[in-house]
Formats: sequence, structure tokens, C-alpha cells
Amino acid sequence: MNRHDIAWCPGCGDFPIRATLEKVLRELPVAQKDIVLTSGIGQAAKMPHYLPYSYFNGLHGRSLPLAVGIKLARPDLTVIAVSGDGCHYGEGGNHFLHTIRRRLDITILVCDNKVYGLTKGQSSPTTDLGMKNALDPQGNQNTSFSPLAVALVAGAPFVARTFAGDPQHMETVLREAILFKGPSVVDILQPCVSFNKVNTYAWYRERIYRMEEPQKDRYEAIRLAEGWGDRIPTGIFWRDGQFICREGKEMFRRHVTESAVARLLNKPCIMMR
Amino acid sequence: MEFNVLIGGEAGQGMFSVELELTEILSRLGYHFFATKNYMSRIRGGHNYHMIRVAERPVHALSGKPWDMVVAMDSAETERRHRPALREGGAFIGADRIGQLEAEATKTFQDVTVTSTLLTGLILSFIGADPAAAQAVAPDEPARTALAKGREFAARWGLEGPRSLSPKAGDHCKLDGNQALALGALLGGCQFVAGYPMTPATSILHYFSAVAPEVPVHFEQAEDEIAALNMALGASFAGLRSMAATSGGGFALMTEAVSLAGMTETPVVVIDAQRPGPATGLPTRTEQGDLDFVLHAGHGEFPRVIFAPGSVEEAISLARRAFDVADRWQIPVFVLTDQYLADSVQVMEGRVPTKILRRETPVFGAGYRRYEITDSGVSPLTYPGLSEARVEIDSDEHTEDGKITEDIGLRARMVDKRLRKFEGLRQEAVMPTRFGDRRATTVLVSWGSNRLIVNEAVEALRAEGIAVSSIHFGQVYPLTPPMARGLARKRLICIENNATGQFERLLRRELGLKAAHRILQYNGECFTVAGLVERVRKILG
Repeated sequence: MNRHDIAWCPGCGDFPIRATLEKVLRELPVAQKDIVLTSGIGQAAKMPHYLPYSYFNGLHGRSLPLAVGIKLARPDLTVIAVSGDGCHYGEGGNHFLHTIRRRLDITILVCDNKVYGLTKGQSSPTTDLGMKNALDPQGNQNTSFSPLAVALVAGAPFVARTFAGDPQHMETVLREAILFKGPSVVDILQPCVSFNKVNTYAWYRERIYRMEEPQKDRYEAIRLAEGWGDRIPTGIFWRDGQFICREGKEMFRRHVTESAVARLLNKPCIMMR
Repeated sequence: MEFNVLIGGEAGQGMFSVELELTEILSRLGYHFFATKNYMSRIRGGHNYHMIRVAERPVHALSGKPWDMVVAMDSAETERRHRPALREGGAFIGADRIGQLEAEATKTFQDVTVTSTLLTGLILSFIGADPAAAQAVAPDEPARTALAKGREFAARWGLEGPRSLSPKAGDHCKLDGNQALALGALLGGCQFVAGYPMTPATSILHYFSAVAPEVPVHFEQAEDEIAALNMALGASFAGLRSMAATSGGGFALMTEAVSLAGMTETPVVVIDAQRPGPATGLPTRTEQGDLDFVLHAGHGEFPRVIFAPGSVEEAISLARRAFDVADRWQIPVFVLTDQYLADSVQVMEGRVPTKILRRETPVFGAGYRRYEITDSGVSPLTYPGLSEARVEIDSDEHTEDGKITEDIGLRARMVDKRLRKFEGLRQEAVMPTRFGDRRATTVLVSWGSNRLIVNEAVEALRAEGIAVSSIHFGQVYPLTPPMARGLARKRLICIENNATGQFERLLRRELGLKAAHRILQYNGECFTVAGLVERVRKILG
């Protein structure tokens, strides 16, 4: 990929995310051909275009139902949905909740810069209360969405936060998330150098601290995940060792047979009664 | 000779059970019959009625003639509404008789729901069905006992055999419209279905969830219709023939993903089981109001095909074909049905293709380009994980290898490539079917579920000495000039279940055919043969 083909601003957090994801995927014990990325719309959603894997870059907010369809159809594929905070938490908020609930082995990566980049600087679901943006000259009137606490409450068995300014940490967290068997959610804090003048690399560096271990108690994980402000924890909040992942059915290149259809025709009425 | 019965009552009083039990036995006995229902969007109360027609020749519509029997499971409403339409000398089973049947069910079977089996036995006796044969096909011993008891009541009330009918349909399959579509989808190689429950499409989803444990198919209940069609597109991209089924309101949520299918050239089939709109409308009644909507659904310009089957056989064959067309042309294909066809149980007389179609899974090398520009507009299609060939799919305008582009020259070439598919699609369009004497100057035009009602009306009119023929469009888009052959000089009467004559306008726009008259119905009820004959007669003077 030529540097000039990339649509991100110089200094964008998407660059280190891309480089780390590329390294993690390359080192994954999975063949390159068996990895599939989905994304929605936004600057972060262009990520698959800059990585050497099959992808389905769909519509705004819809990367997750695409991922669900792919994973159900082809359990043999490793499926990663990567998009921004507006895409996963705003337009696709309902899919975020329900994809977690489906218990499929899908990795949800959220490049969270707390602002809309591609549409040039409007508030996103994770924008802090009171922050001034293109459509909020008086300051954002909405409570900031707490994605990881919501993910935990929805039943996500793997929930983590990392920081685009800390590639080494990001690498560990992304690898663990992808290798985890079940729906994993990683919120990647990422400065937007063009439209978010508050949550900068320096702002994060002053506040971020690493948690060394996942929490033993899910409610403690929720409490910590909800925390925001002077001290912002990164790392794996929760990893459910007992989680039972839903196994897909092998269907690809297996076909319904004529004798099976003949059998089905003799089934009694399947109408609702 | 035929027999027409209406069974009415409040939702939950067991009318549907009578329909299910009676049609099952009629079918096993080899009778020609047709059953449909008129029900409200509620679980209890209100007024629902089920209508069953039994005959000695194929029947695929409501006759619209006075009832030979009216069964009132409730105390007053069925009698008030439907007894006036009972023919002179017809049988009325009212509250007192239902009370006796219920008492018998409770006393002998300790189960009031056995009333439906008693009624089934009574009705079978009324049409002179062979008791021994009926016993032989009953599902179990309690049912056999109840059917015999039902016959005793018929004898006691003097209702034995006044409409003696012979079974003449032979060994056959009985299907409702949705079962036919689901079966057609299976035959078309569909392996993935996603949906959100919505009447009248829900039973298609039920079918797939019921068969999934036995065959390599999967049904996923989506959080909404937006997710449903995106899931289907994801599954199609991953390698399975896929489908979403819904009604108009759910389809409204799918339109964004329809456009995505158009841009990404991802094969997919969508069934819209229409019901009266706008908005929630009449959730459980029928209408053909979504043609314009499905025709134009999705922003931007891209090719599509719309089928609208007019019989259970056609529902099977067109649903099957839909998957083949979607795959070969890499487009969204739509199947329009409606509550009437969905909820009508019919005997399948015709033969349908039963060979199961399969998706090809070609393997390409590393130089594979998903959107290679070709003469036909169709690019090579493969699926992730088969080889080093990366399958790169983008909702933005894209290059031949699936990368975002804003190259305006390439944009135009990509639009042309996608729209070029129309040329091939027109060549393989499904021709309309004709019925009746082609020399007649008047032609009744229909599409979708009205086909067999119209055809029976053509026969009834001929019996009265009025010569008309009919033409039915099972493919409503694209329409091609050969479809219009011989119609330009005819007097066309377009028959539709909507208020604005959507297909009549489409015929004018696409083929330059102008219908002289329209017969429209949009109260939520289907046409009946007698009702249609009356309206045609009025037009022809």
C-alpha cells in the first residue's frame, strides 16, 4: 500500500493500530487466507483496505451483522470487525448489543477517537459531556456512552481497553482478543489529531495506567470499565474462562440432498398454530 | 358439486385447529381442496374465520358463492356476519351444537380442544368421505375415536352426506404459499436465512428453523431487519446461498442493505410477503401494495429481478430460480408474495423441478480481482479461504480489485458494468403464462397471487358465454417486449390488490401497454371468483 493512498491524517491513531493489527495477524497461528475483516463506514472503517486480507467493507454501523453472517456461514474463518466509535456504538449500537449476545467467536475492534472524523468533527457517542464540536457549538449535551461497561452488562466474555499510543500494550491485548474463543470487545483509545483537540496523546498519557490482570469479579470489572477522568485503566477488564462459545455448523460445500427434501415434504404442517 | 364451509369465532377458539386437522385428512384422502383464512392481529378475542372449499376438480380460490355450511365457534359474531351468506338449506352449526361437541370432548376425552377433531369428523361426514378411509389416515387412536364421534353427531343432526364428494386429487402434496417458497428456496440451494418475525412472512422463518436440524441450512433470528439482510449478505459473501424474508415494514429497514447488495454485487434473495400498509396497516390481511416499493428500493441504480408467483407450483419454481439468478448475475432478487398466498393451503397438481441447485465454488490465484470488468458485467465470484485469492468487497465505488476509488472514469465504467447485466437478465426473463381462448378480445391481466382466481373467473365467464382470456406475470421486473406480444390490440383489464394500479402503470412505462380498465381491491381481503366475475361482467356490460 503506497503511503499516499492512505486516507488518514498524519499522526492519526489509526496508523499505529493498523501496524499493530498487521503484526498480530501475521503472527497469528491462522493462515492468511482464513482471516476475514469486516468494517462499516468512517476513517477507521477503511482499515481493511490497508491490510492484506479478504474483507467486506459494508455500510455505516453494519460491520457486525456482516461478521455474524460470515461466522455462521463459515465457522472455519477468523472474523474481525473493525470500525470506529460512531459506527459500532452509534449507527450500529443495536448490533453491538446483540452481536455480543450471539456468543460467536467474533472480535470487535473499536477505534475510539471520541469524535466523528470523516464527517469532520461532530460529537460521537463517546464524546465527553460539554465538549464543543461542529454540531455542538454550545457543547455536547449527551452523556458519554460507556462502551465497555455496556459490553460487560450485555454478557461479553472478553472486554479490554488499549491505547493507540502504546503499541506494545495494544499488541498483547489485540492478540489475546483475537485468540479468545467468543465475542471479544476491544475499545482502542485513539487521538484524532484533526478534530479532537482535547483527548490528545498527551492527555491520555497523563491519565492512562495499565491493569496487569483481568478482574476476578465481573461487577468490579464493570465498575472499573465505567470509570473515566483523571485515571483511565487499560488492559483486559474481564476474561471469562468458563465461557462456552457457540459453535457454528459446517455448511459450506455441503448440500441439501434430494432424499432429505423428499423426507421434509412428508413432514406435517409446519405452520404456526 | 363442491362444498364450501366457513368456520368462524374468536381468536383462540380453535378454528385454525379445525382447518389444520381437516385439510390434513382431506389431503391424505386425496380430495381437491383450497383453504384460506381471514384473521385479526390478536391472540385472543376479535373475529377470525377460516374458509375451506372441497371439490371434485382442482380449486385454487374462494368461490365467493353462498356457504354450504357455517360453523360458529362463538356465540353471536359469526352468526351475525356470515349466516346471511349461508345458502338456502345450508347447515349452520351454532353455539348450542358447539356446546354439545365441547361437552362431549370434555366428557369422553377430558380435553375441550378435541372439539376440533369432532368437528372434523362431522364435516367429513357431511361431504360423504369414506369413514373407513378417514379412520385409516387419522393420526392416532384418540383422533380415530373423535372422528367417529364427530360422525355420530352428524348422523344425530341429520347432516350425513348431503354434499357427497369423491376424492379425485390422488396422491399429492399440500402446501401453503410460504411453505412452497421455503421449499423452493431449499431446492434453489439456499443454506442461510436470517429474519425478524413479521406476519405474513414468519412461517417461512419457521420452516427453516424447523428443518435446520436435519439439513445443512441455518436460520438466524436477527435483532432487526437491518441486521437480517446484512447477515444474509455476510453469509453470501462467505459462500452460502442466502435469503431474508419479511413484510413491507421490515423490508423498509432492509432497503439500505438492498443497495449494498447492488453495489457489492453480492447475490441474495429477499422475500417480501406483502400486507396492507402504509406503516403497520392491517398486519394480517392481504395486499399487493409493495410493487413500486420493491421496484425502487435502495438508493442508487443497480440491476434487480422481481418475481411474483401465482400458485404453489410457481412459488416453488420461482423461489428456486431466484437463487440461481441471484448467483449467476450477482444481484439481489426479490420474490413478492402476500398474506393471501402465504396463508392459503393448496393441493399441488403440477410437477415442479426437484433437482437441487448448488453454488459453484471456483478457485482463483493471487491475482484474483473481485470486480473484474467483463462484457456480461458479471465478474468472477469466489469466497474467502479457498486459496490465496483475496475476496475484497466494498460499499464505496471501487476498483476492479475492490479498493475504494474516486476515479470518475472508473466510476462510470463500473456503473456500466453493473447495469450491463440487464441485457442478459432481459434475455432470460420468465415469460408470462396465458390462459383461455387467445382469440378473445378482452384479456384479464394479473401478477402474483391473483393468477388462479383470475383463471377460474375466465372459465366461469366462458360458461356464461363471455369470452375472455388471461395473462399472468410471474416475473414483474424486468418486463421485456416479447412479454407484450399480441397484447397491443387487446382490451386489457388489469386486476390488482392495491389502490393505485401499480402493475398497470409499470406495464405502461416498461412496455407501452395501456390497460383499458382496472379492477382494484384494497380492503385487505382477497378476490373471490364470484366477486371478480361480477366486476368483469360490469365492465363488459
